[in-house]
Amino acid sequence: MSQVKKLSFVDGKLGAPSSGQQTTRILFNTIEAPGAQSTLSFFKNFQGLTNGQTNLTQNKLDSMESMVIKTIMLTQFDTDGTLNFVGGGLQQTISIIVGNQTVVKNLPIQFNQGDNGQAFDRLHENAGSRTDSAYGGASTFQVRQPLEIRLLTDIVIPPQVAFEVRLESNNAGYGAGAVVCALAGYGKIFSAGNSF
Amino acid sequence: MITAQDKILHVASKLGLSSLQNMQGSTGAVYDVDTDLSGQIFSSATRHQNPSVTNLTDNQFEVNEALLVETIAFYVLSEADATQNFQSVYGSNAVIVFDLVIGNKRVMKDTPIFASGTPYSFANVAQTRANIAPENTPTVFLPRHQVFMEGAGILIPPQVQWYVDYRIFNVITGAPIAATDATAIGCYLFGTKVLLNFNTSI
Repeated sequence: MSQVKKLSFVDGKLGAPSSGQQTTRILFNTIEAPGAQSTLSFFKNFQGLTNGQTNLTQNKLDSMESMVIKTIMLTQFDTDGTLNFVGGGLQQTISIIVGNQTVVKNLPIQFNQGDNGQAFDRLHENAGSRTDSAYGGASTFQVRQPLEIRLLTDIVIPPQVAFEVRLESNNAGYGAGAVVCALAGYGKIFSAGNSF
Repeated sequence: MITAQDKILHVASKLGLSSLQNMQGSTGAVYDVDTDLSGQIFSSATRHQNPSVTNLTDNQFEVNEALLVETIAFYVLSEADATQNFQSVYGSNAVIVFDLVIGNKRVMKDTPIFASGTPYSFANVAQTRANIAPENTPTVFLPRHQVFMEGAGILIPPQVQWYVDYRIFNVITGAPIAATDATAIGCYLFGTKVLLNFNTSI
């Protein structure tokens, strides 16, 4: 089933309107200065975040909006903008909870960091590479890439259903900068059409 | 072509798992590390810390959970719990030979994973890299140590134990290589997952 059909199918099952504008949607949420934590919850706290730190104001999509998640991305920044391994490269798992249902459960993320070369999919060319040299820490020289996992199964976020992305570890270090979580995929956004 | 979902439902039907089709489809991976240096992975997951060593509480799935294994990969877990590349730690002449056992059946047999890059390495990408200061040494490539099970994923059904048996050899001399506590071998199985979904049943 294609992502377009799946979204229509799920929206139809839920009785949600499916006449919105089709588009590509990227949702993101930032946690500032997380430090060492065992659990990071994204899309849960929007207080004090600007439009540069999240593009939602609540943990749910609007009444006429829905989307299919195809890709999860995590990026950990130092305060100067240098990219670091998320959680210091320690073993961590990610879960996506939609409503009261876990739709991605304890999916390990560390293999797609690029340092060990065992990314899940073939999108990551040659499994990752790194440099042996010490680098200066200047953010203009990016030697690490964001962590990205492409899902094999389309996950739908229906309209007006709360969702959350939870990252769990054994007290991994997330630094003094910020960690950003982005969910990308196909979606529908509100389109008034001729109804106004 | 049969899709991952089709294969899961076909196997579930053969096993009489009639309710699996109503569960939540997802993407999943399970991983564990042979910290005992026993040559077997996943069978002692119960005793391992979660999630720094494994994301399992047992080497079997609960009721109505399953995983269609589409990729198998090996790595090394450092004593600091960081995942490392097998070749970077063991050198290019090491090779892992492994079996995947589900229930009492061996479903992958004597499969080699070459440290220098296996089939499915997707090597030779014609990539050149400029040396830009302050990085004045060339970037090194890290080979994949994976098997992509193209079009032939293998289903681990609910409530059936599985494990991976492996040995490490020097591919040039044929001599076995022993892992150590600092170079313990880990493995993950990745693919389409089925998660328990109660729907309206409770």
